[in-house]
Amino acid sequence: MIKLVDLHKSFKTQKVLNGLNLDIPEGKITVIIGASGVGKSVLLKHMIGLVKPDRGGVFIEGVDISKLAGPRLVEIRKKFGMLFQSGALFDSFNVFDNVAFPLIEQSRLSAGEIKKSVEEKLRLVGLSGINEKMPSELSGGMKKRVGLARAIILEPKVILYDEPTTGLDPIMSDSVDKLILDMQQKLDITSVVISHDIKSTFNIADQMAMIHEGKIIESGDPESFRRSSNPMVKRFIQ
Amino acid sequence: MDKILSILQPIADPIGLKIKSVTRALGDWFLFVYEAVVWIPRKPYRLQNLFRHMEFIGVKSTPIILLTGVFVGAVFALQTSKAFALFNADSLVGATIGLSLTREIGPVFTALMVTARACSSMAAEIGTMRVTEQIDALETMAVNPIHYLVSPRVVSATIMTPLLTAMFDLIGVIGAWFVAVHLLQISEGMFLDKLYYYVDMEDFIGGLIKAGVFGFLISTISSYQGYVAKLGAKGVGWATTKAVVISSVTVLVIDYFLTTWILELFGKVVV
Repeated sequence: MIKLVDLHKSFKTQKVLNGLNLDIPEGKITVIIGASGVGKSVLLKHMIGLVKPDRGGVFIEGVDISKLAGPRLVEIRKKFGMLFQSGALFDSFNVFDNVAFPLIEQSRLSAGEIKKSVEEKLRLVGLSGINEKMPSELSGGMKKRVGLARAIILEPKVILYDEPTTGLDPIMSDSVDKLILDMQQKLDITSVVISHDIKSTFNIADQMAMIHEGKIIESGDPESFRRSSNPMVKRFIQ
Repeated sequence: MDKILSILQPIADPIGLKIKSVTRALGDWFLFVYEAVVWIPRKPYRLQNLFRHMEFIGVKSTPIILLTGVFVGAVFALQTSKAFALFNADSLVGATIGLSLTREIGPVFTALMVTARACSSMAAEIGTMRVTEQIDALETMAVNPIHYLVSPRVVSATIMTPLLTAMFDLIGVIGAWFVAVHLLQISEGMFLDKLYYYVDMEDFIGGLIKAGVFGFLISTISSYQGYVAKLGAKGVGWATTKAVVISSVTVLVIDYFLTTWILELFGKVVV
């Protein structure tokens, strides 16, 4: 589904990705773990073309999006939904308008159909009845869930989650994990999750990969991570 | 030779780096403006978004334009009346104020007011969206952020700044008329007669052309500063400051070149 080949990326003198290779399988939850500041979010942004690699390719269903721009990149992006670390809700819009935004921009649905779809997605993330609230009135967890409702409103094939549980209390963190699993089962999508929350990772992952010094140092299912002899992996997951 | 180079290098290096960074920023700004302009006629049109920006830049700037306009006209009348009285040229007060307001003061003051009120907010809003990943979110939703955020602001500022300038000109003349005629006892007939005689439609239109160019420049500069903001709240503050300073300086510098061109265009060059 997503194939990252020999990715290199530097910001000024700081090398963030250094020949990274990774395959993301279709229809599974892949969790990419790594220490803070190691380049996990940068890697995620490569997958949707927000950041271009200095070298290497990002293949989505066989198309290298790092070479694309304009309408062709836009078409590829329509297959994705992304949940940002902070939610990235539009602070001048209320919850309803935030969730409805992709539908207003990308679909030809009537106002009634949009309303129905928004309410359905808000119900799915457990947030019915908050249509009129502004982002500033929401807690961190609620913002993430509204962001998730917005990410799934166009029923994308792939959802990218940037640290979905960071900054949440354990109960809210479990509820977000459950939500990611629910999305996976109900919508049958490919999910890529960036995290450094080990408990959450083992709760949801079908596949895991660890990034260190700009490369993937280990990848496989959660069981293989538990058995890993790589000292860096062992240190991280303990 | 080597000795001279070693003395010059510490001075030349920072200058060279500064020139390089200014040139790069200017190049980036041109590309940004190009993209903002080519997206204007493209679908979807988002008229509601456009009208919202026109209301913010135009309608909501009206009170401050009226307030500053009336007092600028009034103080200008006060100064010119006193000065012209020294050589018995009181009759030319109306014409002088009319020409100055329509050609220079109206468009320049309006552009500076729009910069202070609307463009600073433009830079802060877009900058905040940049540092809180809202612009990235727009891109992930397959929406071009320049088309959505910048193009409507540029169109709105380019249309509304001339309209505000027309208002500034009118209220400025009214303020000047009140002070000159009612407080300083200059003949009303003389004031209005010379105003009509010397101020042509070309003066007024020339001022509006200037205002349109100013509106375009200040909106693109401010949007650009917000768009490239970095480093959180501090970066947004810095972007806002730069937007106001660069826009204001640009208005004053470009004014000279526009004036030269407009005077030639309307055949008003005095040799």
